[in-house]
Amino acid sequence: MRRYARSLAWLTAAAVVVAAVAEVVVRAVAQSRGIRHSFAPEWELFYLAGVLAPAVVGLGVALRRPGNRVAWILLFGSLFVAVVMAAVAIAGLALHHDRNSVAGRWAALVSQEWPCFFAWPLALAFLFPDGRLPSPRWRLPAAFAAVSTGGMVLLLFFGSRDLTGGFGHATSPLPWVIGEGVGTALFWPCFVGFLVSLISGAACVRARYRRGSEDVRRQVLWLAYGVLLLPIWFGATALWGLVVGDSGEGGQALLMVVQAWLAVAVAVAVSRHGLYQIDRLISRTVAFLVLTALLAATYAAGVTLAGLAAGRGSAAAAALATAIAALAFGPLRRRVQTAVDRRFARARFEAVALIGGFVDDVHNARAEPEDVGAALAVALGDPTAEVVFRLPETTGYADREGRLLPGLPDDGRVHRPVLLGERELGVLLHDPAVERNPDLLRAVLAAAAVAIELARLRVELRLQLAAVESSRARIAQAGYEERRRLERDLHDGAQQRLVTLGIVLRRLQRSLPRQAQVLVPALDAAVDEVSGAINDLRTIAAGVRPPRLDQGLAAALTDLARGATVPVELHATPERAPPDVEVTAYFVACEALTNAIKHASSSHVEMHSARDDGVLRLVIADDGVGGARPSGGGLTGLADRVAAQGGTLKIVSAPGAGTRIAVELPCVS
Amino acid sequence: VRVVIAEDTVLLREGLAGLLEDAGHVVVGRAGDADVLLALVEEHQPELAVVDVRMPPDYDREGTRAAVAIRRDHPRTAVLVLSQHIETRDVVELVSSGGGFGYLLKDRVLDVDDFLDAARRVADGGSALDPQVVAGLFGGRRDHDALDELTPREREVLGLVAEGRTNAGISRRLWLTEKTVETHVRSILMKLGLVINTEDHRRVLAVLAYLRASDQG
Repeated sequence: MRRYARSLAWLTAAAVVVAAVAEVVVRAVAQSRGIRHSFAPEWELFYLAGVLAPAVVGLGVALRRPGNRVAWILLFGSLFVAVVMAAVAIAGLALHHDRNSVAGRWAALVSQEWPCFFAWPLALAFLFPDGRLPSPRWRLPAAFAAVSTGGMVLLLFFGSRDLTGGFGHATSPLPWVIGEGVGTALFWPCFVGFLVSLISGAACVRARYRRGSEDVRRQVLWLAYGVLLLPIWFGATALWGLVVGDSGEGGQALLMVVQAWLAVAVAVAVSRHGLYQIDRLISRTVAFLVLTALLAATYAAGVTLAGLAAGRGSAAAAALATAIAALAFGPLRRRVQTAVDRRFARARFEAVALIGGFVDDVHNARAEPEDVGAALAVALGDPTAEVVFRLPETTGYADREGRLLPGLPDDGRVHRPVLLGERELGVLLHDPAVERNPDLLRAVLAAAAVAIELARLRVELRLQLAAVESSRARIAQAGYEERRRLERDLHDGAQQRLVTLGIVLRRLQRSLPRQAQVLVPALDAAVDEVSGAINDLRTIAAGVRPPRLDQGLAAALTDLARGATVPVELHATPERAPPDVEVTAYFVACEALTNAIKHASSSHVEMHSARDDGVLRLVIADDGVGGARPSGGGLTGLADRVAAQGGTLKIVSAPGAGTRIAVELPCVS
Repeated sequence: VRVVIAEDTVLLREGLAGLLEDAGHVVVGRAGDADVLLALVEEHQPELAVVDVRMPPDYDREGTRAAVAIRRDHPRTAVLVLSQHIETRDVVELVSSGGGFGYLLKDRVLDVDDFLDAARRVADGGSALDPQVVAGLFGGRRDHDALDELTPREREVLGLVAEGRTNAGISRRLWLTEKTVETHVRSILMKLGLVINTEDHRRVLAVLAYLRASDQG
């Protein structure tokens, strides 16, 4: 079955080509014999396009989906047109030589079938795109269209003895015809039925559009644009006929263009309807037509009014009207386009307006630029839409919180790069359905680009800050680890060896024979040296890192307070904090205490430590001379240590009012 | 006195053993870590264990923990803990929780007579607390009132009492007669409001308890 269908499709297409070639050849012959015809040679191209395009598209569809009636509508429709057009040419040539040529008269008869141009578009209107009616309710209108069009075709064939056309006059070669009176009586109801069917066909397209899925809508739109051209052609030829008197070659050519367009529309709708934006084309065409009509009206009104003032037909009136029309053009064009957009591209219009509002909000600090993803989700009608931001100098992306993504999520969403010029700002993740409206997507992204760039910069800045902070914390951490190791090395290495050395000396001293007792004082001195060295080492080790910190900040601060030369009132929380936090706090306390005693001549120092809300607070207050400068070397060092832990350090030190240093260290481990 | 030594540095361990043996003690066991130490104590039931605070595997406070275990499981074995640096608080608690415990900085060993004296005191059920710890207890006090009433000499004596020394030891140290030392001690205890048998080791505990209480209060 499928095989036969293919063969039939090829056969039909071949027949179309044969008919088209015949038409071209016959017409060329007629041309060479000087027979004037309604079709000049330069219009042949339009003819070929109008005939061949539906055949090619039909063949393509038939080969891929032989079951779809659309293919056969196109194939037989183009064959019908090709045969009729060939008949027109043959009739012209044959009857020119012999009024009674049988071939010429048959050709003249066939050439009467002008409905061929409308029959297949009408069929498409009912059956496109799936070859079925939209619903059973459309059976009656479809049957009505078929009967009235078919009736017209039959009546044109059998109705009249007299044939007229480009060839002049001829008589039908049929042995029997219905006759003038009855034929005409039957023809007009069929013609009216045909016109009604054109309208109901349009209604059918509309119904399919309104009920169809997004895909069907797009396919139908392509066809609708082609169908739209038909009434335009009707109107244009009618107008031309009224003004010039004859639609002539231009009208014919235009009709062929419409035919070709319909075929192309079907081809695109069937294969790549998502690729091109027909709604935009429609809106532009409509805008153009409305604008032309308005300008014509303006011009006409201008001519009339100026004519009243300056006299009919004066050049000044025409110039004035032209000027008015020209002035009106700019504003009119914008208004018309906006109105048409609102009507025909409402989704895009509203989406772009929404993003525009969001960008305004960002400018006025009513919205965070990072929310651009959410705004896009609303504008695109895709709740899964999300924007991730490109990080320059890496291949990575970050989300709106500034978290680095291991990779773009592979969850079926489309990854669409957002570009500003050549630069990639980020990637829009969206549902594949959004792609059906690339025009909307493009417009919305263009509107959102500034916000996306702003958000990207902020995310980048946050990430860089976090990187700096964490590297600073790592360096501080490494410093503390190093101190700890050093302290261990001093105690367990050097100090241990010195003690051993001292013991060896002592045993030597005690085992000296009586006659060598003179060495005793020297050995005593040596051991004293060793003891001194051990004490020095212990002091150094404590400065590197007090071992008491192993038992907690409170214990270390207690030792510190005990060792101070002025009374220190200490209130230390027994709660532990992470080791690096405790070390930082300890050194702050050390430095502050040293300052209080050495530089501020304090007589009393208070130290408080407390832990709440995951923050370690340490306050050191003295009753000294005050006036400490926060930029002083020691204090700057303290501030750096605290900042490395992500904490804050505040110094209040009015002259004569003592110094108060408050530190807050976050305890996140 | 039979002694077990726990110290991970071999040279130092041998040096300590030599010192103790020179003084007439018997070193019955040498350990390099806490586990061996506990096994040796179990085996030999010595009168004294000399223990390093930091030992393998973690070089943290294995020695202190082993000391607590020994005092708990073998009350007749006294423990003398040696450290490279001062760790005040829990050490004071250990010392004042009863006799038979000592805590000294490692380099006190170099003052050989003092060290041997402390070792014997501890082995006899007394106590020994490093002077630096005692100094810390004095320094950390917030109310100096009661201590301020002591004469400098009395304070010196109080420190030595806190270290765990006997009156005889104090008299040797300060070049005083035992009688004078006894007078000083009575006067001190009276001024501090402590009423105890002056000869008893428990006076050390009382003094330490006093110093710690006022330290914390």
